[in-house]
Amino acid sequence: MKKKIGVYVCHCGGNISDYVDIEKVKDAVKDEANVYLLKNTLFACSDSSQKGMVDDIKTSELDAIVVASCSPKLHVPTFRGVAARAGLNPYNYVQVNIREQSSWAHSDQPTGATEKAILLVKAGIARAAESQALTPIKIPTTNATAVIGAGIGGMRSAIALADMGTEVYLIEKEMSVGGHVANWGNLFTANINGNELAASLHNEIKKRPNIKLFTNAELTEKKGSIGNFDIKVKSGNETLPLHIGAFVVNTGFAPYEPVSGEYHFGEYDNVITLPEFKKLIDTPASELVYKGKTIKKIAYIYCVGSRQDEEGDNKYCSRYCCTAAIHSSIQVKSKFKNITNLHFNRGIRTYGKQELHYEESSKNGDIYLQFSLDSIPQIEKKGNKTIVKVKDILTAGKELETEADLIVLVTGMVPRKNENLTNQLKIPVGRDNFFNEIHMKLRPVETVIDGVFIAGTCQSPKNILETLNSSMAAAAKANSILTKGEMSLEPTLAMVNPAACNLCDNCFEACQFDAIVQTEYEGRKVAKINVSNCKGCGMCTPVCPTDAIDLADFTNAQIESMIDALTE
Amino acid sequence: MATNAQPRILVFSTEKISDPAIDLAGLLKKHYPFTVYTISVPCSSCIKPRWIMRAYEKGFDGVFIAADGTDCSYGESCGEKTSHIVTSTHQLMRDKGLKPSQLKMAALCSVCAEPFVKHITSFMKELEKLKYEALSTK
Amino acid sequence: MNTQYDVLVVGAGIAGEESALKLADMGFRVLLIEKEPSIGGKMILLSKVFPTLDCAACITTPKVSETARHPNITLLTLTEADSIIKENNGSFSVTLKKHPRYVIEKDCTGCQECETVCPSIVDDQFQFNLVARKAVYIPFNIANPRVALIDIENCMLCGSCEQKCPSNAIDFSQKEEIIQVKVNAVIVATGFNLFDPTLIPRYGFGKYKNVITSMQMERELAPTRPFNNILRPSDGKTPDKIAYIFCTGSRDQTCGNAICSQVCCMYSTKQAQLLMGALPMADITMYYINIRAFGKGFNEFYMQAKDMGAKYVKGKVASVSEKENGNLILRYEDIATGKVTESEHDLVVLSVGLLANPAITSVFKDETLEIDASKYIKQPELLQSPALTSIKGVFVAGTATAPMDIPDTIMSAGAAAAETSGYLKQLS
Repeated sequence: MKKKIGVYVCHCGGNISDYVDIEKVKDAVKDEANVYLLKNTLFACSDSSQKGMVDDIKTSELDAIVVASCSPKLHVPTFRGVAARAGLNPYNYVQVNIREQSSWAHSDQPTGATEKAILLVKAGIARAAESQALTPIKIPTTNATAVIGAGIGGMRSAIALADMGTEVYLIEKEMSVGGHVANWGNLFTANINGNELAASLHNEIKKRPNIKLFTNAELTEKKGSIGNFDIKVKSGNETLPLHIGAFVVNTGFAPYEPVSGEYHFGEYDNVITLPEFKKLIDTPASELVYKGKTIKKIAYIYCVGSRQDEEGDNKYCSRYCCTAAIHSSIQVKSKFKNITNLHFNRGIRTYGKQELHYEESSKNGDIYLQFSLDSIPQIEKKGNKTIVKVKDILTAGKELETEADLIVLVTGMVPRKNENLTNQLKIPVGRDNFFNEIHMKLRPVETVIDGVFIAGTCQSPKNILETLNSSMAAAAKANSILTKGEMSLEPTLAMVNPAACNLCDNCFEACQFDAIVQTEYEGRKVAKINVSNCKGCGMCTPVCPTDAIDLADFTNAQIESMIDALTE
Repeated sequence: MATNAQPRILVFSTEKISDPAIDLAGLLKKHYPFTVYTISVPCSSCIKPRWIMRAYEKGFDGVFIAADGTDCSYGESCGEKTSHIVTSTHQLMRDKGLKPSQLKMAALCSVCAEPFVKHITSFMKELEKLKYEALSTK
Repeated sequence: MNTQYDVLVVGAGIAGEESALKLADMGFRVLLIEKEPSIGGKMILLSKVFPTLDCAACITTPKVSETARHPNITLLTLTEADSIIKENNGSFSVTLKKHPRYVIEKDCTGCQECETVCPSIVDDQFQFNLVARKAVYIPFNIANPRVALIDIENCMLCGSCEQKCPSNAIDFSQKEEIIQVKVNAVIVATGFNLFDPTLIPRYGFGKYKNVITSMQMERELAPTRPFNNILRPSDGKTPDKIAYIFCTGSRDQTCGNAICSQVCCMYSTKQAQLLMGALPMADITMYYINIRAFGKGFNEFYMQAKDMGAKYVKGKVASVSEKENGNLILRYEDIATGKVTESEHDLVVLSVGLLANPAITSVFKDETLEIDASKYIKQPELLQSPALTSIKGVFVAGTATAPMDIPDTIMSAGAAAAETSGYLKQLS
């Protein structure tokens, strides 16, 4: 059937027309089948040009439009909008990239650039002729979330979600809430104790009827997809079925546990970790005593379990520990008399305002010594004395040796082992084994699993402020999707032609999203796409032995007509 | 320049990852031969061998699959699946008397403009050589 | 124009955009104002971003166009808040000042014909003065809106542009507009100021041509860069011995900024990687105090720069002096040897820090928008509700609260959107 296609060739100021001969392009494509209207425009994306297109589509009753201008990454939504405003199905529009992939790429050969532009436009016209009207699939969604983990981050996500009108199921595997922070005393950058912070957030949770807290609980089953997950939560001896629209995973970190013998940890009784030290200084006492011995001189050894360099080690920086250690050293000095702090570090990373803590500790007279990974401090016992030896970078590599009563290993964060949850939700992890976001800047709280958001230290080490920000950002993202009560999915999904399907396993195996299900067709079992799970990747299409699967907007007819046009 | 003599390459790129790299090559005016044409698809693992075969049949000398590698937003298995497509297409190509070297695949990240230009230029050289050999044996 | 909105977002950099988009997606009506002629803040002008080396423009522009297009967002550029007054019912009366563009926004096609005829040439602030622009100009290639404006202070009023403009979009009769609106909440996303390195005369910025700022280097490296190559300003020569001076204007009480700017170590490391790609033969030396490579993938990125050949020298640079050929001599204490040392470079890049931008505080008339010791907007409930400020109904996002990188900014903007949405829901 003959179609009416409108073709617009853009000059892009001169970005295209300086190299591509627009008149030649127009001349070469004017007689192509289905071309009803052909125009050039200085800027296709300008408001005036968009208005012109809307008018053209309406008055000439166009069946499809082709815009030959810049990369589809820039203006596909713009021109889909043009189509929609004119009453044309947005998928009856084809973008042809004659800027990034022609005028600019071949600005050294204008004739060649023009020749290529002609063929690209022809291919676009061919594709538009084969294009089908597609309707985004609308699915109803449930405005409820499961927040996994009731540490500081999880609780803050829950409160934010509840305040925005989203029902929350807060699932905590321990008996109590607050995570690591609930065990901490004074926190850095704000005058509040960890246990008070946890209690205050817990109190806010109790005030909100739309948050249901489950402790001693875990996720045992998950089915469905974004907008509509059916889950089961086991809390104590009870198992509850719940219906939710999204997950906010806020499972936190595990503190790095030094391996036995690392800086004589577990061998010398006065070698402890930072969390142990924090607990020690929070214990009310007039004198700092550890295992019966009065502590006056404390050596902090930094980057234990972080910034390692062997394959398989923790190569990352744990971000919070420099400030946490310095903050503790300030606390210990203000609380107890005659304390000497020695910081054996690898370059202090008190970024941002945390610098003020570093400055304060330096003013307190704390001593900073810096070592590199190839000559780490050596700890040894001489009689009942503990000696720390270091080659100090700050004094031109001088070998220094000092006595210390207590050695504090400034331990970092490691990803929590949470196999059950990882298996249920299939969240991918990054090189550092923390959960991975889709894009650090564009989509920092989203994972490739739609409807599963991540926040807090399960994504990467963070301090409390950063954990709160990411937890609330995840809440905002989840709410913005669920609050409308429905969502539309891209219609460029796989389609099975049931008549051609012989039902083998291939597509089921190829699909990573459980998007292929069985159905009946004329008394036979055939494959069918579950549209709410299909991501439109097309992985299932080439594996079909009978070529029964096509990807909408990338059909055999479209791709092959483009190939044909490119070789005219 | 005798444009007709230049081999023609069809590139299958991926919308989110490798096509942006090809765009970036243009943006940075990193030039490559203009007889390189791109068709962009969501993921390299959706490319059907019949499309590749159609390209040869219609006169393309080479097909280059700009795959996603591990950056693919649809999951890490895409590289493996795309290699599988390449292997099965190689079989079809042999049946038609085409050389396996006429089909190339490489993983490109979204900013791999330079690697793209390098891959495509050396592929072009290989195809030129093949074309020359074919001509001289005739 | 509508005069009633749920939220006013001040500042359309990436923080303001992200907050506005999130709230608009939730169904709130957002008024987003930006004092510059284009949105996208400082990020849209960057080259690539650490540690992924994505092109900054490519990841900014989709959000920029989404913002400009969103049906729930009303966007005003060249617009500043003049006063914000809290009413008895808790809402805010806002007076906005929209500066004249002298170009009819809807008619301009961005063809840049006007630029070709304008006789007035001035420093281009969007290229950080590396090159010049005309008095009538499009801010930069990927500006949004991509329409021209006239910098009236430098305009000779010759009328050439008016005659040349094919769509008759030039309008010299435009006046400053005063716009009154009512909103229920305000988000302050006013970002940061860059440190002005002329405040450290011993580094010679402004005196020696080949001492440039890191922002100027960003432009040299950007895809929409002013030159097609990396070059030094004095003679256009390709540099092959480049020095970075870290902590310029940060961690330095003598210039009034005691805190660390949080991003300079990493952006300098990124620039070093890009430079090593562009100029494989160049020596790049990084003079640092401590390397703050703390975020996800940052330490790995720093190690990668070292592996690629960037030389990291621990030592604070005392002074820079110029040789006759334009090369520069750095005098510094080399911590590794403990000796004062000199070294010669042909280009020096100052890794300038971030400073607070507290100008917005004067706009709040009846209540005080408090700032902290570092002059950033104070977050009274820092570890519980970081987006709250000292005024109920006023929230804060991004680098208005503290120096931070792009991922942290996006998170903080998301948090501000969540807090604001919760607040608006309680109101209704």
